[in-house]
Amino acid sequence: MSTATDYPFGFLDSYAKKEVRRTVLKAIAIPGYQVPYSSREMPMGRGFGTGGLQLTLSLIGEGETLKVIDQGSDDSVNAVNLRHFIELTCPSINTTTRTQEATLIQSRHRIPEQPLREDQVLVLQVPYPDPLVIVEPSETRRKVMHGEADYSRLLVKLYEDLVHFKEITISHRYPTRINGHYVIDPSPIPRYDVPKLHQSPALLLFGAGREKKVYAVPPYTLAEPLVFDDVPFRTEDFTDRVSGERRACQRCGSRDSFLDEFSDPNTGGKVYQCSDSDYCTQQQEQAHGE
Amino acid sequence: MIEPIWQTPLQQQVFRQLLDAYSYPGKVQTLADTLPAAAYHALLATLLDGTSSLCDRDGLLEATQWPLLQAQPAPLSTARFILCDGAQAADFTPLLGTLTDPEQSATLLLAVASIGSGAQALRLRGPGIQQETTLELAGLHPSWLAQRADWCCHFPLGVDCLLTDTQRRFVAIPRTTQLEVC
Repeated sequence: MSTATDYPFGFLDSYAKKEVRRTVLKAIAIPGYQVPYSSREMPMGRGFGTGGLQLTLSLIGEGETLKVIDQGSDDSVNAVNLRHFIELTCPSINTTTRTQEATLIQSRHRIPEQPLREDQVLVLQVPYPDPLVIVEPSETRRKVMHGEADYSRLLVKLYEDLVHFKEITISHRYPTRINGHYVIDPSPIPRYDVPKLHQSPALLLFGAGREKKVYAVPPYTLAEPLVFDDVPFRTEDFTDRVSGERRACQRCGSRDSFLDEFSDPNTGGKVYQCSDSDYCTQQQEQAHGE
Repeated sequence: MIEPIWQTPLQQQVFRQLLDAYSYPGKVQTLADTLPAAAYHALLATLLDGTSSLCDRDGLLEATQWPLLQAQPAPLSTARFILCDGAQAADFTPLLGTLTDPEQSATLLLAVASIGSGAQALRLRGPGIQQETTLELAGLHPSWLAQRADWCCHFPLGVDCLLTDTQRRFVAIPRTTQLEVC
């Protein structure tokens, strides 16, 4: 039976890492462009975060402090499995759940509530990297459209939404234009997180393992959600229609975080809770400290 | 004992410095003391393998280094990595990529006398830079700036530059950075 020590640090061999590293640098140099790379087989199914994992393993080094989150939580199954795998193959790293302690953060579908810093890198797992796929099935033609920054058909799609529903109905994966040229699929983050892409102090990397693409939003870069001049971009506001107040997290009482909705098994009513479990815990710790 | 330049933990550190350099253009990076003083050695060792092509226009590398780098020798017009003495004029056109595949463009490594201090000063703007930043350097032939402006004027086409000096310092100027001589 083979053990973890049979593998090189970071599981990937140095050729795989070098290729990912060259790809990442091109991705930063061409903000928002989906750089193709030869996504390696990982010991888990494609679609389970292999793109993000390959980025993390190519970036990570001894003494790194890593945080892995899935949908805001450090303890859900995808995060636990990926963290365990990285700990197994990178013996000299530290892991944390606290956003401010991490130097490298791999995340599925959320950007942490706490603002990121210049010395942190966020890696997002991406299922569908190309925002044009809903309007153009041919990748060859999509690449031409991206090169020419031709997103008219995507705007038509948004317009159709407005005609049908009086609202752009995209709840997550909101198409966002980076540095005035490429439009990206920012991974299935909620609309609430889209403004965090804009002028972020930290580097944001996106890895799509199954689709074999890597792209980046460099720090301090324009990131504008696709909208029309007369229909401003809206994020989730969590206002209670009855009381008119913004809903609070039932655990920590925070009124300025992204909330998950649950149904209370006893009363059948709806309850709300911070999606970012680390933020929620830290808010509670602060409240107890006072 | 493997030379530090080929040790994977050190290459990981060099890569993280490259990542930081590309993320924040104009931010001067200093390599670890154990690495060679001419910074391009460590950068090439970190980036290249048998699938990369390299052109050493001014013969800065010794013949013994090529087999270790594993890179395929290529002419200036097709090489994905080009190493030049920055004091010599820019007299060629590198790969600029295509509209559909802009990543198939060259990365230029320009060896200059000094980075972080010197008589030449550049003002940088663009992604990765809050407002603007300045970069001082010495020993870059002015033709590179004019040529680079030409090469990078049609985004997403362009070249990405790494300037290196002989005191283990380097800085990245990706294609999105707007340069101005100040």
